[in-house]
Amino acid sequence: MKKVPGTFPALRSTRYFGNRLAATGAAVLLLLAVIAVCAPWLAPYDPLAVNLPEALLAPSPAHWLGTDPLGRDVLSRLIFGSRISLLIGFIAVGVAVVIGTAVGLLAGYAGGRCDAALMRLVDTMLAFPSIFLLLAVIAILEPNIYNIMAVIGLTSWMGVARLVRAEILSLKERDFVLAARALGASPLRLMVRHLLPNAMGPVLVAATLGVGGAILTESVLSYLGLGVQPPTPSWGNILNEGRVALGIAWWLTLTPGVCILVTVLAFNLLGEGIRDGLARR
Amino acid sequence: MIGYLARRLLGLIPVLLGITLISFGVMKLAPGKPTDAAVQFNPKASFEARERMEKLLGLDQPLHRQYLRWLGRVVRFDFEVRPGGLFDRLTTVLVFIGYSAPGFWLALLAIGWFGVTLRWFPVSGLHAIDHEAMGLLRRGLDVAWHLALPVGVMTFVGLAGLSRYARSGMIEVLRQDYIRTARAKGLPERRVLFRHGLRNALLPIITILGLSLPDLIAGSVVMETVFSIPGMGRLFYDAVMARDQNVVMALVTIGALLTLLGNLLADLAYAYADPRIRVRGGR
Repeated sequence: MKKVPGTFPALRSTRYFGNRLAATGAAVLLLLAVIAVCAPWLAPYDPLAVNLPEALLAPSPAHWLGTDPLGRDVLSRLIFGSRISLLIGFIAVGVAVVIGTAVGLLAGYAGGRCDAALMRLVDTMLAFPSIFLLLAVIAILEPNIYNIMAVIGLTSWMGVARLVRAEILSLKERDFVLAARALGASPLRLMVRHLLPNAMGPVLVAATLGVGGAILTESVLSYLGLGVQPPTPSWGNILNEGRVALGIAWWLTLTPGVCILVTVLAFNLLGEGIRDGLARR
Repeated sequence: MIGYLARRLLGLIPVLLGITLISFGVMKLAPGKPTDAAVQFNPKASFEARERMEKLLGLDQPLHRQYLRWLGRVVRFDFEVRPGGLFDRLTTVLVFIGYSAPGFWLALLAIGWFGVTLRWFPVSGLHAIDHEAMGLLRRGLDVAWHLALPVGVMTFVGLAGLSRYARSGMIEVLRQDYIRTARAKGLPERRVLFRHGLRNALLPIITILGLSLPDLIAGSVVMETVFSIPGMGRLFYDAVMARDQNVVMALVTIGALLTLLGNLLADLAYAYADPRIRVRGGR
């Protein structure tokens, strides 16, 4: 049988498979959110309690995921680290979505010189390898959680801006927008009430994927020592502290990475799932 | 040396055959047929329809014939790569994992496992301590040996991202009319996939490659830090840590210029590869 994409069994199984993966991603994220919210009740130890005699213990019934070079319980630190990762992920993406949507909406609606100027700004921002900008700015400011959220947001809005602009360009010629304009709707009302709600689909996908990306970025920054500062636990800086014991304490390297991997994977699966769902409409 | 290589390659053949035999055997031993989902649980499907479907899929043939048929496809790397096929699902999952994993973490794992535990590769730096005393060839091999881990990890991470685009590009292209035309002409499936499908699906990859230059530079900041390689990325990191603003600014600019250059090269390559762009005369 020749492989014809779109024949019934092949296509149906893709959809089913995709849906199931997206649902798995959503379930993982829900679980993670519960863990982050309930961290103080779930963590078996104080994540900051130093206990030098118990440094670098392998996983055991007392410490399920072992201890770090300062004798702190790794499981407790990972549980509290989930708060940081999710918080940074969501707020950074929130910043990016707000800026990106505003820029895209304005550029798409106004057109002409305004559009050209804003899009050149987007091109310019995109030309910088984002890690360069991130590291440079954070080193100048001061690596704390608020700066990190702001800087990740400020260096990742360009994709959203392009998406929104493209949507607006096609939407603004549609009949319902022309009708609203003919009825005398103000430009602001047109943009906010008629254009924006119809352009949010792709933004939702980009935002979901973006949260995963922001969490990855935070982990890189924290690993490099320019992210969340110790003793506050984040998945990235637990990896950084595990570096000194590489080869001795595998649990310090393996577990935070798995947390990052699973979380980012879940966001990616969910994002792709939403995209497939939107594409099918 | 060549004789050794040839022997090793020949030695791989039975292993590969064994692997295919086992994967085929496991699939065939599993209860149920691929047609079940489409036919058996469908009360409207007649017995004739079912038989026709099995014939189409070659399921009416004896097992050894089915195996040989499948093996023939394996040799041509035709794993029934279609949306929803087993190979597609497997690679999609692997690619997703590669795409979601932090590169520096994979690097740490690689250092811990291949470097510290197994001691196959050096864990950091670009040269052995005594590299000054080495001849040219030995020195080259030494660098290659030091680069094996960082290059391997970065390749895996980059590969994951690229194959995602390649997959969606391929799915998109296979839906096009000219693919249906090619099939209708009776071209062999391999020719349809590789010549008509892949060549068109690869076009967006050119752009992605150009756009991925900043990611490569960004990745190098992290990778060179993890592996203590004295490159541009490491220099940038050290400059940031030392608050050496001049070096930081210079490198940020160079990075941006390289990105623009990458985009330009991608555009040129795209125009070269896709006559439609050239004919239109560009923007």
